[in-house]
Amino acid sequence: MPDSSATTEHEARVFGRYLIGRIPPPELVARYVDAVRALFTAPASASDEAVVAFACRHPAALPFLDGAAGLRHPGGLLRSKLLVMSAVLEASPEFADEYLPRTPGRLALLAQVGLHGGAAVVQALLGLLLLPIASRARA
Amino acid sequence: MTDVLVIGSGPGGVNAAVPLVDAGLRVVMLDYGNTDTRYAPLIPHRDFTDIRRGDPSQHRYFLGDRFEGIPFGPVKVGAQLTPPRMHILADAPQRIPVDSPAFAVSISLARGGLGAGWSAGVFPFTDDELADMGLGTADMQSHYDAVAARIGVAGERDDLLPFLPASPSLLPALDVDTGAESLLARYGRRRAALNADGFFLGRTRLAVCTRPYRDRGPEGYLDMAYWADLDRSIYRPQWTLEELQRAPNFTYLDRRFVERFSEDGDVVRVQATHADTGAAEVHEARALVMAAGTVGSTRLVLRALERYDTPVPILCNPYSYVPTVNLNTLGRPVRDRRHSLAQLTAMIRTTGERPRLLQAQVFSYRSLLTFKLMKESPLACPRSLAVLRLLMPHLAVLGINHEDRPTPDKTCTLRRGTPDRLEVRYRPTADETRTQRADERSVLRFFRRLGCLPLKTVRPGEGASLHYAGAFPMRPEGGDLTCDRDGRLRATRNVYLADGSVFPWIPPKGLTFNIMANADRVGTLLAKRLA
Repeated sequence: MPDSSATTEHEARVFGRYLIGRIPPPELVARYVDAVRALFTAPASASDEAVVAFACRHPAALPFLDGAAGLRHPGGLLRSKLLVMSAVLEASPEFADEYLPRTPGRLALLAQVGLHGGAAVVQALLGLLLLPIASRARA
Repeated sequence: MTDVLVIGSGPGGVNAAVPLVDAGLRVVMLDYGNTDTRYAPLIPHRDFTDIRRGDPSQHRYFLGDRFEGIPFGPVKVGAQLTPPRMHILADAPQRIPVDSPAFAVSISLARGGLGAGWSAGVFPFTDDELADMGLGTADMQSHYDAVAARIGVAGERDDLLPFLPASPSLLPALDVDTGAESLLARYGRRRAALNADGFFLGRTRLAVCTRPYRDRGPEGYLDMAYWADLDRSIYRPQWTLEELQRAPNFTYLDRRFVERFSEDGDVVRVQATHADTGAAEVHEARALVMAAGTVGSTRLVLRALERYDTPVPILCNPYSYVPTVNLNTLGRPVRDRRHSLAQLTAMIRTTGERPRLLQAQVFSYRSLLTFKLMKESPLACPRSLAVLRLLMPHLAVLGINHEDRPTPDKTCTLRRGTPDRLEVRYRPTADETRTQRADERSVLRFFRRLGCLPLKTVRPGEGASLHYAGAFPMRPEGGDLTCDRDGRLRATRNVYLADGSVFPWIPPKGLTFNIMANADRVGTLLAKRLA
């Protein structure tokens, strides 16, 4: 089923906040809507749609669903839409610095990689429990 | 009458045309000639970081007006085919339909052909690699030198010299980035042991001008090579085409789609249609040089000879890329000034029953945008982003090419229809896959010794390297649908091939420079014949 613009705009705001901690400005929300319209022309599976809808209704569940989807459904709708939002944010001057490389010292780098890696594993494990529930929820 | 018709303006076409034009022959080049007029004017002459932080229009060329720069799908073909480069493949799927379920076929109707997006690696073949064509470096070296002088090749006379002989015109090497510098330093400290084990490392030979050269360059280290030809420092066949167009005995006819050719005594006749008006045209000449790219030439030859339903070989050497973390640079400041192309090349001599040469390139990663790497990471997106931002300055991405040889399961067949369709069947043998995996392990073992920790092996899929070859191999012993040593298609009197289709196999390296040198050879020999 094609996305309605309002639903997709809501998605953009939820995904933007999840990815970079801020609600993206209206022009980037509009760009995301255009991108979704251009890229997702084939209907997605009901379970894929349900996961995205669940994530938008419960943004607190997004890190877990995203983590689990990265393992179980890397090419699924949720991950694909997150990557589209990420691309839209990355290709804008206001968020460029959020995507450009950082070069902390060796110890800080190793600590941060370890921290993010560990947190990602926990998120994915919890997400694996949540994913079946989300995929059966109403779209 | 025209002396020679050349079909296609890619690496083969323009480099075959130069010796013909230089010999005073009247040459007409027929080309479809797509160019990018949408994005090129938008891209400012600034470096990547500056553009990222300052250009509000960047989304147009980084993502594309139709978001064609956000790739989905199983076959990851041509990461370097960014929106400003996508004109390279435009119109071909409609004009030259191909059924190829498990093989990515990329055909170009662009000015410069697939060469308009070439990653500029210059890897001349060795005697062993040329032997199957009945050639050796003695036959090819003068053409390697002529092409190197024409296109501008930068490099260093370093440990790779025995594998990649240098031409007299060699330009000073490009500056390498911090990661490559650290790998070279570590290699230098362990050179004796690594060389004894068959591993050699040096700077990649690249078709890039490091000083002003033939109205091009010098390289400005803007790190925008995948998006634009800002300094014209990286070689594109279009630069040679511009030089050719200054000659009074050369005519470039673009917007022509060639339908077929035929021979009538000593005259070759080419039927074409105008891409915009659909008007039919006939062009005549004493000889025809086909350089429409392997797949394009396959279609034309099989149509002309009425060899429908006859399978011919098709090759495309597979490649893998492996992002590794270069532990040598962790915690070290990284220079922002860099170029986007391969930084280093490694050559590895294998031992065993059939000793071979493996080759890998070392790239760093930045200007293709981070979200494309996030796609490959299993972590939740914000975690991926955080980790990638930390690791990206320390990534050494290895590009590993494999060799490709013909088998009965790698074929291209023309089927009759409206329009005719090509059908590609490509299935590597289990043996080939095993060898490729073993070669990848071997390359990675050496890079571990240099302090590179592999993260993941990405195999972009069959057909992804865009190095197509093998359809009408140059075989000294003869055979149906083969070429002779001069590049003449047997079964014709005056039709020559000057693209990848004449190479009977592809060594584990890039093919493009060899296509250019062989085209120069074919053009030179033909010029002598027609003189």
